[in-house]
Amino acid sequence: MGLTSLKTLRLWGDVMLQIKNIVKSFPGVFEKVLKGVDLSLGKGEFCVVIGANGSGKSTLMKIIGGEYTADSGSITRSGLVSQVVQDVSKGTIPTLTLLENFALSQMRYKKPRFSSYKRYKNEAVRIMKTAGIGLEKYINQPLGSLSGGQRQIVATMMAINSGGQILLLDEHTSALDPKMQSTLMKYTAKSIKEKNLTALMITHKMDDAIKYGDRLIMLNKGRIVMDIKGQEKTKLSIQDLLEKFHKFEDQDILENKNDN
Amino acid sequence: MTIDLILNGALQGLILSIIAYAIMIPFRFLDFADLTSEGTYPLGGAICATCITAGMSLLEAIFISVLAAGIIGISTALVHLKFKVNTMLAGIILSTMAYSINLRIMGKPNISLFNCNTLFSNDIIGNISILVVIITLLILPLALFLRADFGLRFRAVGLNPDFAKKQGVSIEKYTVFGLFLAGSLAGLAGGLMVQIQNYMDIGMGVGIIIHGLASLMIGEAIIGNNTLNKQLLAPFVGALVYQQIQGIVISFGLAPSDLKFFTGSVVLIVLAMQRQRVSKSA
Repeated sequence: MGLTSLKTLRLWGDVMLQIKNIVKSFPGVFEKVLKGVDLSLGKGEFCVVIGANGSGKSTLMKIIGGEYTADSGSITRSGLVSQVVQDVSKGTIPTLTLLENFALSQMRYKKPRFSSYKRYKNEAVRIMKTAGIGLEKYINQPLGSLSGGQRQIVATMMAINSGGQILLLDEHTSALDPKMQSTLMKYTAKSIKEKNLTALMITHKMDDAIKYGDRLIMLNKGRIVMDIKGQEKTKLSIQDLLEKFHKFEDQDILENKNDN
Repeated sequence: MTIDLILNGALQGLILSIIAYAIMIPFRFLDFADLTSEGTYPLGGAICATCITAGMSLLEAIFISVLAAGIIGISTALVHLKFKVNTMLAGIILSTMAYSINLRIMGKPNISLFNCNTLFSNDIIGNISILVVIITLLILPLALFLRADFGLRFRAVGLNPDFAKKQGVSIEKYTVFGLFLAGSLAGLAGGLMVQIQNYMDIGMGVGIIIHGLASLMIGEAIIGNNTLNKQLLAPFVGALVYQQIQGIVISFGLAPSDLKFFTGSVVLIVLAMQRQRVSKSA
């Protein structure tokens, strides 16, 4: 307990990601998806984003990842960004081998060279071994021949080891079975700490959010309505979190009723 | 007589294999169905023939035809990338425009090279050897390139453009490069062909795209394309086999004018067979 509070005081010194007053709307949609979001993440901080469907979580993530541009506001990224998406077929190339996929992710922030990508083999084997589920055996097999869970673990390992310092995880465990989910989540959390990455993770799993996040934020209708870190976070129980979550949901239902 | 037929088929097949590579590279690695060869192949021929009759060296003539055809390839890529025109339509537009360019370059519908020195002689075995050497010199570096960082990123563009973009690959640059490569290969094939047949005719290469495609399809049906090596070998094997099939059906009495119908049928049959295989394995 004492250690945690000390850590939270001392850590997150260097700001890695600074978001100021981000507003985003989509053509043809009257209500803005993000209505002024401010967020600042320090080095090594693992921030979990929760919120109901349509609260703007994924849009925020895509703006940080550079896929969307915000209508207004500013983003400062003090490091390179890697990301893992929910749909593994979008985050990997199933017809290429595990090694080829891995090599592509390694080239993300390096100058391409005129030598064979096979030079990444030792590194790939070493990293695949760290998951401890025998992935290194499949190094020369098409990634598509692995199970969805194994592929998502590979995709996560690729992102974590690509040289980016800011890691974006968009419901990256949600398509997997419970056992795989927990394996992947443990691996992800461990690697974030080991590599001192700044991470932003979207999840619907409240237990994961509480267990692994250094900081919890809740989005509702395009605004951050809850931001808990440090001691406050360590005291938070899953019941408290669910209560807060449902409070906003109930408000929405009431508001909708009033609208009608 | 028969051996002559086979050797001639091999010679034609080798030229066709270069076209098959020009079709395969954008089609299989960039997922870019490119029809520009229909224009870049005769463009290569037109420029090469014109340069040779103007007294340029063979090397200069070939170099200029390859470069010019490559530029047409780049144009197709840019029309697709900048104006969002469908890849096939972009290829058709550029190859139609190339026809007029070819006539402008030649100044007349045909050019004879019978009194000029060319790379090739009357010795058919010698000619085949020259082509085999040229193709080897082209495909070996290509195989190395595809295994290097650049090549892996190049292949990723066609397999999953979204993923490639996330890995920092510029789709535009690689597409332009791939289409330049395809254009120059087709231009080279044209430049070599006019030297083999010793004349250039404005009608050269009409329907070449379907012959190239048939070669690629046959090659992939025979040896498959599930590995990089097989994919690289398929156009070569396919073109040689396809050219021999053509020779056989003609010697059996098929009118040369019916050949395009025959080729179209071959492509359809191979495509249908592939579809069957896919639906069975799924």
